[in-house]
Amino acid sequence: MKNLLSLLFILCVSASAMAQKKVEVQFQTDGVCGMCEKRIETALLNLDGVWTADWNVETHETMVVYNPKKIEELELHQAIAAVGHDTPLVKAKDEDYAKVHGCCKYREEAVRKAH
Amino acid sequence: MIKRLVFGSLCFLSLPLFGQVDTSLYQSLQIQEVTIREDAAGLSIDSKSASLDLNISRTELKKAACCNLSESFETNPSIDVAFTDAVTGTKQIQLFGLAGKYAQIQVEMTPLVRGLLANSGLQFIPGTWVQSIQLTKGIGAVNNGPESMTGQINVELLKPEDLVDAAEAPGSEGRGDLLLNGYANQGGRFEINEAYGARINSKWMLASLGHFSGRQRGTDVNGDGFLDNPLGYQVNGMLRARYFGQNGWEGLYTFHALEDVKQGGQMANAFAPGIGADQLWKSNIKQGRLAITAKTGWVNPDLPDQSIGTIVQVYSHELGVEMGLPKRTAPSSLYSQFRGIQNGGMAQLLFRHGWGALTQTSGIVLQHDAYQVGLDRLELGNGRPWVENNVGLSTEWTYSAGERFTAVLGMRMDAHSIAGYQFSPRFHMRWEPRASHTFRVVAGRGFRMAQPLLEEYGRLASQRFIRWEQYGQVLGGDLLSMESATNMGLSYSHPFKLNYMAGGIQADLHRTQFQRAVIHDFYTPGERSIYPVNIRDWPGSIPLQSVSAGVSVNYNLNKRSELRMAYRYQVLQASYYSDDLNGNGLMTLPVPFVAPHRFMAHYSRSFKGGIVMDVTLQRYGKQAIPGIDPSIRPAIDYAPAFHLLSAQIRQEFKGGDLYIGMENALNITQSNPIDGAVSPQTSQPLLPSDPYFQSHFDATRIWGPIFGRMLYLGTNIAL
Repeated sequence: MKNLLSLLFILCVSASAMAQKKVEVQFQTDGVCGMCEKRIETALLNLDGVWTADWNVETHETMVVYNPKKIEELELHQAIAAVGHDTPLVKAKDEDYAKVHGCCKYREEAVRKAH
Repeated sequence: MIKRLVFGSLCFLSLPLFGQVDTSLYQSLQIQEVTIREDAAGLSIDSKSASLDLNISRTELKKAACCNLSESFETNPSIDVAFTDAVTGTKQIQLFGLAGKYAQIQVEMTPLVRGLLANSGLQFIPGTWVQSIQLTKGIGAVNNGPESMTGQINVELLKPEDLVDAAEAPGSEGRGDLLLNGYANQGGRFEINEAYGARINSKWMLASLGHFSGRQRGTDVNGDGFLDNPLGYQVNGMLRARYFGQNGWEGLYTFHALEDVKQGGQMANAFAPGIGADQLWKSNIKQGRLAITAKTGWVNPDLPDQSIGTIVQVYSHELGVEMGLPKRTAPSSLYSQFRGIQNGGMAQLLFRHGWGALTQTSGIVLQHDAYQVGLDRLELGNGRPWVENNVGLSTEWTYSAGERFTAVLGMRMDAHSIAGYQFSPRFHMRWEPRASHTFRVVAGRGFRMAQPLLEEYGRLASQRFIRWEQYGQVLGGDLLSMESATNMGLSYSHPFKLNYMAGGIQADLHRTQFQRAVIHDFYTPGERSIYPVNIRDWPGSIPLQSVSAGVSVNYNLNKRSELRMAYRYQVLQASYYSDDLNGNGLMTLPVPFVAPHRFMAHYSRSFKGGIVMDVTLQRYGKQAIPGIDPSIRPAIDYAPAFHLLSAQIRQEFKGGDLYIGMENALNITQSNPIDGAVSPQTSQPLLPSDPYFQSHFDATRIWGPIFGRMLYLGTNIAL
């Protein structure tokens, strides 16, 4: 009985989750390493309306799935820029870029080469 | 994605590379993953391993915030936590329904839960010291020892580099080399834990791990005159030194000392004024351990597939148990006492060499245990000393054909001073015919030496007459106390992504069949018989057998919540001496205190602002327990099914967290857990001088919680 109830619970939750409108976008984001990945993904996942986010350390591509009724695509770029990473639509302000850790300074040739 | 996060957090640390080598050296070839960090998944399957290995991280351990290793399995669908008696206060674990002693439980590949500590060793590993736990379902690797029958549990404790690296990591602002934890619960238990690491120079690091816990305030919720949990304290400490040298040399040196005192039994204030302490049933258990462990390893810097490791450990364990009335006043049937000392050590040498797809690890181990046991119980007589020596040779060959197939063949030969020559072949195979559909097969044999009376000392809290006439030595140390079993298993695991969210399905089927087993027979009221059953004397019989099938599903419902559900069906049967008229047969009966149907659901959700909520529901199905009605033979009774619900809320903040939780929220308790404790007419607690107490007292029939709903509060601080 309990098992059945739990199963129903899952089905309901996942059904409602799937029913939400979702859009998947991909765009380049500058960064170098796993620490950058965590920073970018955390910034996106903290936004309401973002279902999932993944930054690929090799291709430097960000994949975001979001609900366009709750958030606009530009806001995704702004959130990434606010933690110091450049996207095709929004370049991070110098003061935000200054806050990223020394080993993540992707704008410097030497740091990029080190990775 | 999880993997990448792990590598990400490591990419700036210089030392974990060596840490990785260390784990591969000592953890057998199958567990050669990168050390899993806090940001990794709580519970993850090692997808490359040939055996079914689950890794349990520190994140997972925070889901159930109390206290020691046995309790840390409460959110894990593979391990059952059985209920403690009121006397020892030790929770036992079960794997496939079989007692924890049939799994090989190790701390960093050295024995701890063994010999005199087979019953209680788990409580000497505080949860906050644990770095990660590797759980292998099905028989373990041969190089780790012969004692694995149902599986293997290895616990990695915090090492100096874990603490130092955390503090040196970018963004940590120097926090993480000093961890503090405090805990208190409604049942009167408190706990203080500490972990500190420091770098001495570029080669040496030090760490200290400390633990102090206790219970000073006694409770008697059910009014039977007995404390629900024993009072006492535990002081436990470890000093560790870590060496990372040039040219691939490394070492880890550990000193461990502990003392544990538990006092249980009847409370004076449950009786009329004027009743003195010498008229009450009391228990007093004292345990101690001193151990020094030295691990040294060398990895060929030019050939990372080649390494040598040594482990040397010496230890001394002490266990003293006194139960009943004080000796001077006791009619002797109301008094049991034993004092045991186990002095021993081990030395192991492991050599690993790889040729690309083929790798071998071979080892030799020397083990020595000297037991000195004094026993004072009416029907059993005196104790005696004995010695166990063992020389074990093992070799394990791993063949990997690409990413999709791995096979491991292991062989082990032990020359044991009591068990003689024992050959333990083992086989593991992993096959991934299609991406992310993995099948595993395991088969193998293991053996152990039981100490029939000592390792079940909690069961001395009973007026059951102990019968052991058929038995050689009730303490152990002879061939009749050897137990051996073969284990076979098949499992399937499938990680999946649904709606962008990760999930996984796991199913497994295992059978553990004993050729020799020491049976504890509680199916005759008033008696406890201990006897060995082996298939040579009883051809065609199965001394002890477990058949277990389980399925579990986990799924991230969205980015903030995870659901985990598991069901396990397990049938445990043992051969008991039949007392029918013929008097010379065996009867197959269910093993008591194992629920055939087990269900668990766990839901975890994190909220903005660093709040994490965990809810766990467990269902224990109907289980067999020893009956007390003498007119029914065999005396089997059944305990009803019940649910346990626990919940916890944790608020994370910079440099720590604060948690509050509730165990047993449905307030389920076993009524009358201790037989003979209260008068059947008046329900008033009875003194041991009462004839009804003397004929009925039995604290061994506990199948459920004694203490009801319980609140707890704790905090972790990283400085």
